[in-house]
Amino acid sequence: MSALAGTVRRLGFSREIVLLGVLIALVVVMTLLDPLFLTLTTLLNTSRFFVEVGLMALGMTLIIITGGIDLSVGSNLALVSVAVGFSFAAGLPLPLAIVFGLAVGVAAGLFNGFFITLLDLHPLVVTLGTLALFQGLAYGVSKAQAVSDFPDWFAYFGQAYLGPIPGQLFIFVVAVAVVWVILSRTRFGRYVYAIGNNEEAARFSGVPIRRVKLALYSGIGLLVGMAAVIYTSRVYTARGDSGVGLELDVISAVVLGGASIYGGSGTIGGTVLGVLIIATLRNGLILAGVPSTWQLFVLGVLLLAAVFVNEFFRKREE
Amino acid sequence: MSEARAPAERSAAGDTVVRRFLVRPEAPALAFLAILLLAFTLANDRFLTASNLESIMDSVAVLGVVALAVNQVVLCAAIDISTGSMLGLCAIATGAVSLSTGGLLLPLLAGVAVGTLAGVINGALVTLGRIPAIIVTLGMLYALRGVILLVTGGTWITGVPEETRVLGTGTLLGISVPVLILIGLFLVMELVNRHSTWGRNVFAVGGNRQAARFAGLPVDRTRFFAFMLVGAFVGIASMIYLGRAGSVQTNTGVGLELQAVAAVVIGGTSIAGGRGSALAALTGALLIGVILNGLILLGVPGIWQDAVLGGLILLAVATDVLRRRLVGDKA
Repeated sequence: MSALAGTVRRLGFSREIVLLGVLIALVVVMTLLDPLFLTLTTLLNTSRFFVEVGLMALGMTLIIITGGIDLSVGSNLALVSVAVGFSFAAGLPLPLAIVFGLAVGVAAGLFNGFFITLLDLHPLVVTLGTLALFQGLAYGVSKAQAVSDFPDWFAYFGQAYLGPIPGQLFIFVVAVAVVWVILSRTRFGRYVYAIGNNEEAARFSGVPIRRVKLALYSGIGLLVGMAAVIYTSRVYTARGDSGVGLELDVISAVVLGGASIYGGSGTIGGTVLGVLIIATLRNGLILAGVPSTWQLFVLGVLLLAAVFVNEFFRKREE
Repeated sequence: MSEARAPAERSAAGDTVVRRFLVRPEAPALAFLAILLLAFTLANDRFLTASNLESIMDSVAVLGVVALAVNQVVLCAAIDISTGSMLGLCAIATGAVSLSTGGLLLPLLAGVAVGTLAGVINGALVTLGRIPAIIVTLGMLYALRGVILLVTGGTWITGVPEETRVLGTGTLLGISVPVLILIGLFLVMELVNRHSTWGRNVFAVGGNRQAARFAGLPVDRTRFFAFMLVGAFVGIASMIYLGRAGSVQTNTGVGLELQAVAAVVIGGTSIAGGRGSALAALTGALLIGVILNGLILLGVPGIWQDAVLGGLILLAVATDVLRRRLVGDKA
């Protein structure tokens, strides 16, 4: 394996190129299994499903680079979905309900951020707590009921097409560009890597650690809010159990994309490829008629394999 | 001068008493439990009856047994959030064996074997694979739920024979068997933590892994056994579950992983590892049982349970931080 890692390095293969190879191989296999897979319609349709995970994965990448984690994203998505649906059902005009939902998402993220920074707690414990808290609030507020009598224009966020291209793909592309610029072209981005590499050293170098973390956790709250609006529009229903277990997809995508779970490394390009691979795999499994029960299993194993391979190669490189 | 010093000394002595209580990791939880018992008794005269208290203890047995083992993992400064799916899988193993052979011993062995195997996988991935425990057990939480759906094909296991259900429904000397198992395992864990090499190693590894390694302690083996113990205890808990429920569904155990971690940290075991006790896990499990039971008696709808649980976890970890700042303890 070390020889393989060495060869990979000598040939100047970056992790992104390896991931791209995996993605292409996956598409080829899927096409062999089902010729319908490699059509523009199917490929573009796939994108309707990965935008929500993708948006959250962008925020999660930055958080994981700092050595943190956010387990509450799936529950937060449910909370925002319920906030939008039920404030609308209570008589709030839908545009305001959407703004309210986004605000709830940011507030939930801020709550995580304050808890983590003010009490110096590990994000793992805090977001495990808010995973249950947000989920419970979503259930409780919605009384386990659903809202789905939205006006027609609400479908714009999750079901609209511009030509053959799903509308939310544009939102995703813009979000990718913005987060990429923030991470690789701004001082804030350098702070993110600095915290992940050595928080102590970053603190002594004058990096405003608390402010950066607060920004990151409320930032992912905003991205979760956007994902929740798109999700609610796509399934056209606001329910308390939306997004259950999505944190697994999100974290898997980021880790598959090469971000070290110990912090300090990771890229937006890698995460986007990770999201694409997971979406292709999920979609392919559905097309190939694999029962949905297998998908949980495959995803769980994939997450473990990705972290294992990641850390294995990283150790050999160092 | 001596008169002036005397009050200061007395207040210092008072400080020590308060401190000695505060330093005990499970102190806030025990105090909270006492206050809650009092409050619920005052609020509802049906609360403090022998039958209600026994039903709380009964309902907490599965959670308590799992929490006692998860406590050891947390003491090692790791975490296990795969216990929900693990319990489901063990219950299916015990249920299936019980349907085909009946009896008590074979189903119990099957459950413990399946649980231990799952625990061994967790432990091996964490120690040999060097993958963070949260990622390993998150992956396993979903992978094992997938396995459950695969082996059952979505069907329930029902009609479990009475002789297998004894661990959940039986009584011995007038005390229900689940309560006896819980108390028995609690005593075992207290003894293990105080008097066995592995128990002491758990605290050393959790307190400072680097120092433990330099001291020549078997860091990986200690952590590996903690994960394995979770599997074995979940296997025992699955027999209690099977006895009480009499059937197994594909969603059996969903959410238990959160409750178990909640019980451990609410009870006072530090999530950073190295500080805590088996008593903390037991207290935490009882607190959760009392609160959920009290909410039902107060007429709060069950859909708020998750929110209450989440709030409690946050409250517990925040209290722990504030308590340590108060005591000036850096551990």
